[in-house]
Amino acid sequence: MADLLTHVLVPFVLLTVAGWRVDWLDRRWTVLSMGGAAIPDLVKLNLVLDASTVGERVGLPLTYAPFSSLGGVLLVAGVITLAFERRHWRRVYGLLVGGGLSALLLDGMRVYADGHASAWLYPFTYWRPPTPSLYVSSDPAVLVVTLAIAAIVFVVDERRTRS
Amino acid sequence: MLVWERVVVALLLLSVLGGLFVHAEVTGERRWPTPQADDLVADYDRYVGSETFMIGTVTAADGATLTVRFDSHLGPVSLTVSGVEKSPRRGATVQVAGTVGPEHTFRADRIVVVNSSSDAKLYKYGASLVGVALFLAAFVRYWRLDTTRWVLEARRDG
Repeated sequence: MADLLTHVLVPFVLLTVAGWRVDWLDRRWTVLSMGGAAIPDLVKLNLVLDASTVGERVGLPLTYAPFSSLGGVLLVAGVITLAFERRHWRRVYGLLVGGGLSALLLDGMRVYADGHASAWLYPFTYWRPPTPSLYVSSDPAVLVVTLAIAAIVFVVDERRTRS
Repeated sequence: MLVWERVVVALLLLSVLGGLFVHAEVTGERRWPTPQADDLVADYDRYVGSETFMIGTVTAADGATLTVRFDSHLGPVSLTVSGVEKSPRRGATVQVAGTVGPEHTFRADRIVVVNSSSDAKLYKYGASLVGVALFLAAFVRYWRLDTTRWVLEARRDG
Protein backbone atom coordinates (compact mmCIF):
# COMPACT_ATOMS: atom_id res chain seq x y z
CA MET A 1 0.00 0.00 0.00
CA ALA A 2 1.04 3.60 -0.55
CA ASP A 3 2.32 5.42 2.53
CA LEU A 4 -0.24 7.07 4.77
CA LEU A 5 0.95 10.58 3.91
CA THR A 6 0.08 9.98 0.25
CA HIS A 7 -3.25 8.47 1.30
CA VAL A 8 -4.30 11.58 3.28
CA LEU A 9 -3.00 14.07 0.71
CA VAL A 10 -5.05 12.62 -2.16
CA PRO A 11 -8.48 13.49 -0.65
CA PHE A 12 -7.02 16.82 0.49
CA VAL A 13 -6.25 17.68 -3.14
CA LEU A 14 -9.51 16.31 -4.56
CA LEU A 15 -11.83 17.88 -1.98
CA THR A 16 -10.01 21.21 -1.79
CA VAL A 17 -10.45 21.60 -5.54
CA ALA A 18 -14.06 20.40 -5.27
CA GLY A 19 -14.57 22.98 -2.52
CA TRP A 20 -13.94 25.75 -5.05
CA ARG A 21 -17.31 24.78 -6.55
CA VAL A 22 -19.17 23.43 -3.50
CA ASP A 23 -19.80 26.13 -0.88
CA TRP A 24 -20.05 23.96 2.24
CA LEU A 25 -16.96 21.89 1.44
CA ASP A 26 -14.37 23.83 3.41
CA ARG A 27 -11.17 22.71 5.12
CA ARG A 28 -12.88 21.25 8.22
CA TRP A 29 -14.84 18.79 6.05
CA THR A 30 -11.85 18.00 3.88
CA VAL A 31 -9.97 16.97 7.02
CA LEU A 32 -12.58 14.29 7.70
CA SER A 33 -12.04 12.73 4.30
CA MET A 34 -8.29 12.74 4.99
CA GLY A 35 -9.09 10.77 8.14
CA GLY A 36 -11.18 8.33 6.12
CA ALA A 37 -8.22 7.78 3.84
CA ALA A 38 -6.24 6.57 6.85
CA ILE A 39 -8.74 3.79 7.68
CA PRO A 40 -7.19 1.15 5.36
CA ASP A 41 -3.81 1.82 7.03
CA LEU A 42 -5.22 0.47 10.30
CA VAL A 43 -4.14 -2.89 8.86
CA LYS A 44 -0.66 -1.87 10.08
CA LEU A 45 -1.94 -2.47 13.60
CA ASN A 46 -0.32 -5.84 12.94
CA LEU A 47 3.09 -4.20 13.44
CA VAL A 48 2.37 -3.50 17.11
CA LEU A 49 -0.31 -6.10 17.88
CA ASP A 50 0.19 -9.27 15.87
CA ALA A 51 -3.16 -10.63 14.69
CA SER A 52 -2.17 -14.27 15.06
CA THR A 53 -1.03 -13.64 18.65
CA VAL A 54 -4.35 -11.95 19.44
CA GLY A 55 -6.11 -14.83 17.69
CA GLU A 56 -4.32 -17.36 19.92
CA ARG A 57 -5.31 -15.38 23.02
CA VAL A 58 -9.01 -15.26 22.09
CA GLY A 59 -9.03 -18.76 20.61
CA LEU A 60 -10.07 -17.66 17.11
CA PRO A 61 -8.11 -17.33 13.88
CA LEU A 62 -8.13 -13.74 12.70
CA THR A 63 -6.53 -11.23 10.38
CA TYR A 64 -6.69 -7.45 10.23
CA ALA A 65 -6.92 -7.58 6.43
CA PRO A 66 -10.58 -6.35 6.45
CA PHE A 67 -9.35 -2.91 7.58
CA SER A 68 -7.93 -2.59 4.09
CA SER A 69 -11.15 -3.53 2.34
CA LEU A 70 -14.47 -1.91 1.49
CA GLY A 71 -16.22 -3.71 4.35
CA GLY A 72 -13.68 -2.48 6.89
CA VAL A 73 -13.92 1.10 5.63
CA LEU A 74 -17.73 1.07 5.84
CA LEU A 75 -17.71 -0.28 9.40
CA VAL A 76 -14.89 1.85 10.84
CA ALA A 77 -16.36 4.96 9.18
CA GLY A 78 -19.65 4.10 10.90
CA VAL A 79 -18.00 3.92 14.32
CA ILE A 80 -16.18 7.23 13.81
CA THR A 81 -19.34 8.92 12.53
CA LEU A 82 -21.10 8.17 15.83
CA ALA A 83 -18.66 10.51 17.57
CA PHE A 84 -20.04 13.51 15.66
CA GLU A 85 -23.26 15.49 16.11
CA ARG A 86 -26.32 13.65 14.80
CA ARG A 87 -27.14 16.36 12.24
CA HIS A 88 -23.77 15.86 10.55
CA TRP A 89 -23.81 12.04 10.37
CA ARG A 90 -24.72 11.66 6.70
CA ARG A 91 -22.08 14.15 5.57
CA VAL A 92 -19.39 12.84 7.93
CA TYR A 93 -20.01 9.23 6.91
CA GLY A 94 -19.92 10.11 3.21
CA LEU A 95 -16.64 11.97 3.58
CA LEU A 96 -15.02 9.21 5.64
CA VAL A 97 -16.09 6.49 3.20
CA GLY A 98 -15.03 8.65 0.24
CA GLY A 99 -11.58 9.11 1.76
CA GLY A 100 -11.29 5.40 2.49
CA LEU A 101 -12.32 4.54 -1.07
CA SER A 102 -9.71 6.91 -2.50
CA ALA A 103 -7.02 5.08 -0.49
CA LEU A 104 -8.30 1.66 -1.58
CA LEU A 105 -8.39 2.77 -5.23
CA LEU A 106 -4.87 4.19 -4.96
CA ASP A 107 -3.60 0.94 -3.48
CA GLY A 108 -5.45 -0.98 -6.19
CA MET A 109 -3.32 0.75 -8.81
CA ARG A 110 0.05 -0.38 -7.49
CA VAL A 111 2.14 -3.17 -8.92
CA TYR A 112 1.19 -6.77 -8.23
CA ALA A 113 3.44 -9.39 -9.81
CA ASP A 114 0.45 -11.39 -11.03
CA GLY A 115 -1.38 -8.32 -12.39
CA HIS A 116 -4.30 -8.37 -9.94
CA ALA A 117 -4.81 -6.17 -6.89
CA SER A 118 -5.91 -7.58 -3.54
CA ALA A 119 -9.58 -8.44 -3.04
CA TRP A 120 -10.26 -4.97 -1.63
CA LEU A 121 -13.99 -5.16 -2.35
CA TYR A 122 -14.22 -7.86 0.38
CA PRO A 123 -16.64 -8.99 1.84
CA PHE A 124 -18.90 -8.16 -1.09
CA THR A 125 -16.78 -10.15 -3.54
CA TYR A 126 -13.52 -12.11 -3.52
CA TRP A 127 -12.70 -10.76 -6.98
CA ARG A 128 -9.19 -9.34 -7.39
CA PRO A 129 -9.50 -6.41 -9.84
CA PRO A 130 -6.79 -6.07 -12.49
CA THR A 131 -4.23 -3.42 -11.59
CA PRO A 132 -2.65 -0.91 -13.99
CA SER A 133 0.61 -1.46 -12.02
CA LEU A 134 1.44 2.24 -11.82
CA TYR A 135 3.85 2.17 -8.88
CA VAL A 136 5.49 0.13 -6.13
CA SER A 137 4.63 1.11 -2.60
CA SER A 138 8.15 2.23 -1.63
CA ASP A 139 8.59 4.45 -4.71
CA PRO A 140 9.26 7.99 -3.36
CA ALA A 141 8.13 9.46 -6.70
CA VAL A 142 4.51 8.79 -5.72
CA LEU A 143 4.83 10.90 -2.58
CA VAL A 144 6.91 13.59 -4.28
CA VAL A 145 4.32 14.08 -7.04
CA THR A 146 1.44 14.04 -4.54
CA LEU A 147 3.24 16.52 -2.24
CA ALA A 148 3.94 18.87 -5.15
CA ILE A 149 0.30 18.82 -6.29
CA ALA A 150 -0.93 19.24 -2.68
CA ALA A 151 1.40 22.22 -2.17
CA ILE A 152 0.13 23.94 -5.33
CA VAL A 153 -3.50 23.30 -4.38
CA PHE A 154 -2.85 24.56 -0.83
CA VAL A 155 -1.29 27.82 -2.07
CA VAL A 156 -4.07 28.42 -4.61
CA ASP A 157 -6.70 27.67 -1.96
CA GLU A 158 -5.11 30.09 0.52
CA ARG A 159 -5.08 32.84 -2.11
CA ARG A 160 -8.73 32.18 -3.00
CA THR A 161 -9.67 32.31 0.70
CA ARG A 162 -7.91 35.65 1.20
CA SER A 163 -9.29 37.27 -1.93
CA MET B 1 -29.08 9.89 20.35
CA LEU B 2 -27.85 9.41 23.91
CA VAL B 3 -24.22 8.61 24.64
CA TRP B 4 -24.96 5.05 25.76
CA GLU B 5 -27.01 4.44 22.62
CA ARG B 6 -24.10 5.57 20.46
CA VAL B 7 -21.77 3.33 22.44
CA VAL B 8 -24.08 0.34 21.89
CA VAL B 9 -24.27 0.99 18.13
CA ALA B 10 -20.47 1.43 17.99
CA LEU B 11 -19.98 -1.88 19.83
CA LEU B 12 -22.36 -3.58 17.39
CA LEU B 13 -20.38 -2.25 14.43
CA LEU B 14 -17.10 -3.30 16.07
CA SER B 15 -18.56 -6.76 16.68
CA VAL B 16 -19.34 -7.06 12.98
CA LEU B 17 -15.79 -5.90 12.23
CA GLY B 18 -14.44 -8.54 14.61
CA GLY B 19 -16.55 -11.10 12.79
CA LEU B 20 -14.98 -9.97 9.52
CA PHE B 21 -11.50 -10.43 11.04
CA VAL B 22 -12.33 -14.07 11.70
CA HIS B 23 -14.26 -14.60 8.46
CA ALA B 24 -11.42 -13.14 6.39
CA GLU B 25 -8.90 -15.47 8.03
CA VAL B 26 -10.93 -18.66 7.59
CA THR B 27 -11.80 -17.72 4.00
CA GLY B 28 -8.26 -16.61 3.19
CA GLU B 29 -8.02 -19.21 0.41
CA ARG B 30 -10.88 -17.49 -1.42
CA ARG B 31 -9.21 -14.08 -1.25
CA TRP B 32 -5.86 -15.61 -2.28
CA PRO B 33 -6.94 -18.72 -4.20
CA THR B 34 -3.39 -19.82 -5.04
CA PRO B 35 -1.17 -21.73 -2.56
CA GLN B 36 0.53 -19.52 0.01
CA ALA B 37 3.48 -20.02 2.34
CA ASP B 38 1.51 -21.85 5.03
CA ASP B 39 0.21 -24.30 2.39
CA LEU B 40 3.78 -25.00 1.28
CA VAL B 41 4.92 -25.50 4.87
CA ALA B 42 2.05 -27.90 5.58
CA ASP B 43 2.23 -30.07 2.44
CA TYR B 44 4.81 -28.89 -0.09
CA ASP B 45 4.61 -31.74 -2.60
CA ARG B 46 0.88 -31.28 -3.05
CA TYR B 47 1.46 -27.85 -4.63
CA VAL B 48 4.36 -28.69 -6.98
CA GLY B 49 3.33 -27.43 -10.43
CA SER B 50 0.86 -24.90 -9.02
CA GLU B 51 0.96 -21.29 -10.12
CA THR B 52 1.02 -18.76 -7.31
CA PHE B 53 1.84 -15.25 -6.18
CA MET B 54 3.63 -14.64 -2.88
CA ILE B 55 5.57 -11.96 -1.02
CA GLY B 56 8.86 -12.79 0.69
CA THR B 57 12.28 -11.60 1.77
CA VAL B 58 15.47 -12.22 -0.20
CA THR B 59 17.96 -14.07 1.98
CA ALA B 60 20.59 -14.80 -0.70
CA ALA B 61 21.24 -13.71 -4.29
CA ASP B 62 23.78 -15.07 -6.75
CA GLY B 63 22.68 -13.29 -9.93
CA ALA B 64 20.90 -16.23 -11.58
CA THR B 65 18.80 -17.34 -8.63
CA LEU B 66 17.45 -15.91 -5.41
CA THR B 67 16.74 -17.58 -2.13
CA VAL B 68 13.51 -16.10 -0.83
CA ARG B 69 12.02 -16.72 2.59
CA PHE B 70 8.23 -16.68 2.80
CA ASP B 71 6.84 -16.34 6.33
CA SER B 72 3.61 -17.94 7.45
CA HIS B 73 1.68 -18.78 10.61
CA LEU B 74 3.17 -22.27 10.43
CA GLY B 75 6.74 -21.02 10.08
CA PRO B 76 8.93 -19.88 7.20
CA VAL B 77 9.57 -21.68 3.92
CA SER B 78 12.60 -20.85 1.74
CA LEU B 79 12.55 -21.36 -2.02
CA THR B 80 15.26 -21.07 -4.66
CA VAL B 81 13.74 -18.76 -7.23
CA SER B 82 14.91 -18.94 -10.87
CA GLY B 83 13.90 -16.82 -13.85
CA VAL B 84 15.37 -13.77 -12.17
CA GLU B 85 15.73 -10.69 -14.37
CA LYS B 86 16.36 -8.19 -11.61
CA SER B 87 18.95 -8.60 -8.88
CA PRO B 88 17.42 -7.44 -5.64
CA ARG B 89 19.73 -7.22 -2.69
CA ARG B 90 19.68 -9.44 0.35
CA GLY B 91 16.97 -8.16 2.71
CA ALA B 92 14.78 -6.86 -0.11
CA THR B 93 11.04 -7.57 -0.03
CA VAL B 94 9.87 -9.07 -3.31
CA GLN B 95 6.64 -10.23 -4.94
CA VAL B 96 7.04 -13.35 -7.05
CA ALA B 97 4.53 -14.78 -9.50
CA GLY B 98 5.30 -18.13 -11.07
CA THR B 99 5.21 -21.89 -10.57
CA VAL B 100 6.14 -23.96 -7.53
CA GLY B 101 8.82 -26.51 -8.47
CA PRO B 102 10.08 -29.70 -6.83
CA GLU B 103 12.54 -29.64 -3.94
CA HIS B 104 11.80 -26.09 -2.85
CA THR B 105 12.38 -24.41 -6.19
CA PHE B 106 10.26 -21.76 -7.85
CA ARG B 107 10.21 -20.70 -11.52
CA ALA B 108 9.35 -17.01 -11.55
CA ASP B 109 7.41 -15.44 -14.41
CA ARG B 110 7.72 -12.04 -12.79
CA ILE B 111 9.50 -10.57 -9.79
CA VAL B 112 8.69 -7.15 -8.36
CA VAL B 113 10.92 -5.52 -5.78
CA VAL B 114 8.59 -3.95 -3.21
CA ASN B 115 11.22 -2.71 -0.77
CA SER B 116 14.77 -2.73 -2.12
CA SER B 117 16.18 -2.71 1.42
CA SER B 118 15.21 -2.09 5.01
CA ASP B 119 15.79 1.64 4.26
CA ALA B 120 12.85 1.59 1.83
CA LYS B 121 10.68 0.12 4.56
CA LEU B 122 11.84 2.81 7.00
CA TYR B 123 11.03 5.47 4.40
CA LYS B 124 7.47 4.14 4.10
CA TYR B 125 6.94 4.04 7.85
CA GLY B 126 8.52 7.49 8.29
CA ALA B 127 6.26 9.02 5.62
CA SER B 128 3.27 7.32 7.21
CA LEU B 129 4.12 8.79 10.63
CA VAL B 130 4.31 12.25 9.05
CA GLY B 131 0.88 11.53 7.53
CA VAL B 132 -0.52 10.67 10.96
CA ALA B 133 0.96 13.86 12.45
CA LEU B 134 -0.38 15.99 9.60
CA PHE B 135 -3.87 14.57 9.92
CA LEU B 136 -3.98 14.90 13.72
CA ALA B 137 -2.74 18.49 13.57
CA ALA B 138 -5.35 19.38 10.94
CA PHE B 139 -8.12 17.57 12.82
CA VAL B 140 -7.41 19.31 16.13
CA ARG B 141 -7.23 22.63 14.26
CA TYR B 142 -10.80 22.29 12.95
CA TRP B 143 -12.61 20.02 15.43
CA ARG B 144 -12.93 19.79 19.19
CA LEU B 145 -14.50 17.40 21.68
CA ASP B 146 -17.51 18.79 23.52
CA THR B 147 -17.16 16.97 26.84
CA THR B 148 -20.64 17.97 28.03
CA ARG B 149 -22.36 16.09 25.18
CA TRP B 150 -19.41 13.84 24.23
CA VAL B 151 -19.57 14.74 20.55
CA LEU B 152 -17.03 16.16 18.14
CA GLU B 153 -18.01 19.60 16.92
CA ALA B 154 -16.44 22.10 14.55
CA ARG B 155 -14.38 24.82 16.18
CA ARG B 156 -15.90 28.24 15.64
CA ASP B 157 -12.44 29.73 15.19
CA GLY B 158 -11.28 26.83 13.00
